Amino acid sequence: MLEIKISGRGGQGVVVAASTLGLSFFNAGMFPQCYSVYGGERRGAPVVGFLRVDTQKVLLKCEIRRPNSLIYMDESLFDAREVRSILKDGDTVLINTTRPLEKLGELRGLKVGLIDAARVSESAGLGKIINTTVLGAYCRLVGQPDLKCLLDALTEAITVKSQANRDSAQWAYESVKITEVA
Amino acid sequence: MKKFITGNHAVAEAVRLCRPDVVAAYPITPQTPIYEQLADWDSAGELGGTMVKVESEHSAMATCLSASLTGVRTFTATSSQGLALMHEMLHFAAGSRTAVVMAVVNRSLAAPWAFWSDQTDSLSQRDTGWLQLYCEDNQEALDTTIQAFKIAEELMLPVMVMLEANFISHFMEPTEVPEPDQVDEWLLPVNIPRRFDLSNPGFMNGVVSAKQYRDFRRLASDAMEHALTVVERVDKEYESTFGRSYGLVETVDCADAELVLVTTATITSTARVALASLRSKGIKVGLCKLRLFRPFPVKALRDVLDNAPRVAVIERNISIGREGIFCSEIKSALINSPGRPKIQGYLAGIGGTDVNTQLIEWVVQDAITREVFVDQPIWVDDAVLEGEAQ
Repeated sequence: MLEIKISGRGGQGVVVAASTLGLSFFNAGMFPQCYSVYGGERRGAPVVGFLRVDTQKVLLKCEIRRPNSLIYMDESLFDAREVRSILKDGDTVLINTTRPLEKLGELRGLKVGLIDAARVSESAGLGKIINTTVLGAYCRLVGQPDLKCLLDALTEAITVKSQANRDSAQWAYESVKITEVA
Repeated sequence: MKKFITGNHAVAEAVRLCRPDVVAAYPITPQTPIYEQLADWDSAGELGGTMVKVESEHSAMATCLSASLTGVRTFTATSSQGLALMHEMLHFAAGSRTAVVMAVVNRSLAAPWAFWSDQTDSLSQRDTGWLQLYCEDNQEALDTTIQAFKIAEELMLPVMVMLEANFISHFMEPTEVPEPDQVDEWLLPVNIPRRFDLSNPGFMNGVVSAKQYRDFRRLASDAMEHALTVVERVDKEYESTFGRSYGLVETVDCADAELVLVTTATITSTARVALASLRSKGIKVGLCKLRLFRPFPVKALRDVLDNAPRVAVIERNISIGREGIFCSEIKSALINSPGRPKIQGYLAGIGGTDVNTQLIEWVVQDAITREVFVDQPIWVDDAVLEGEAQ
């Protein structure tokens, strides 16, 4: 079972990212379960979204304590030591960053995706909206769900600037830098 | 059609499918998305009925029960403090034999202020004369809401459908939403007595004598007794059309069990995973899910538990000064059991704290090896799991 944690800040669209990623897996015929945790309802406060994805109905109705896949929508929340203590070898982490891999700390054994989401979103005409861009990169990193399932979910769930969101997700899918750190 | 939606959205879908004439509600976290979704459909002209915006939950219930007396289908939803504020009107809704259906998103009661799952809000309404059904997941919340209208309108008793904060209200899951014509065929247009005539206004609930009061109570009690049959029959009728049913209680692997774990609501779902793991280790544990709380399904429970050597009740609520409320009810239901099962109560998940498979397995191991069963509940929390103070 894939257990995903999405970390970001209030205003970055973490909740929509989690539910849209869930919808993408749903469109792919999987059984996703999705929830979000937000304490202070203000811009800038840390927000966390969670997903479980399985090939059969997810029965667990408890917190995800040890995710095996992480998404950081905000680089300031990323901490290499913490990530290494949560993930096992071969697990995946996607970071929205402008920094190169060697500047991010010790990530040996992990499959790491790096995306400069702000740049991609800007060129797609989305301004500072980066949540759907990050999802495009994530699909490529993990190999599922299919990009088409994500694009269909974006059409369904995102009604404002729908085409720009799809473009941005697709460009991120094509340009994400993926490294299996040896 | 299968949709990827929250439990709140699933309940709203169910309500729209049942074509309520009057929805009166007041927003309160975490129930608000039910209200918002119905309000969105209302403003788009897709709800069909009338959505009444009220100034409090007390007024919401007063509106629904009055509307029900005019012979129409009514729905409201609330949580926690909102339900507490409704308390007085809940007695009126049941005592006046209305058919109001209400979704309650179980949330911790203040003080202190909190937003997470806790069943004490609805269990505190135990004696208001409402039926109470507790749901395990989004699908069951949707299905039970549809069933509730049929049950309420047949019995002329109001029905509460419980879904837990966060774990159902805000968890998104694949959920089968029936087609409108299927529901139309299954749930006929409302046909309950019209006791209020708006063109000829009157007064009801005048003062009665002591004997009359007793007789009204007796009739309501008889109707509740009959409700056991109706809830079971409606659930079977639902299955024959929609392919899903839940029973008054559900059992898993109880026949040879040395210990039966009794659960309600979402703890049941996680317990199914824990049970499979324990069984694979050779531990003879069974699971009994309690779905109906009022009326209390004594016979259905005794059929399962009369001869169980040990029973553990794990629950997310507390009657402070006693124990978990389901545990007290189960102890009283089994008082005449010939097998005299030993019963131990465990409190877990109070205030929405996490109940995971590790915690449930700890409870089972404790109950199956325990030499002395104590009258007080055992609090299970992170400290217990980490092998600290017990």
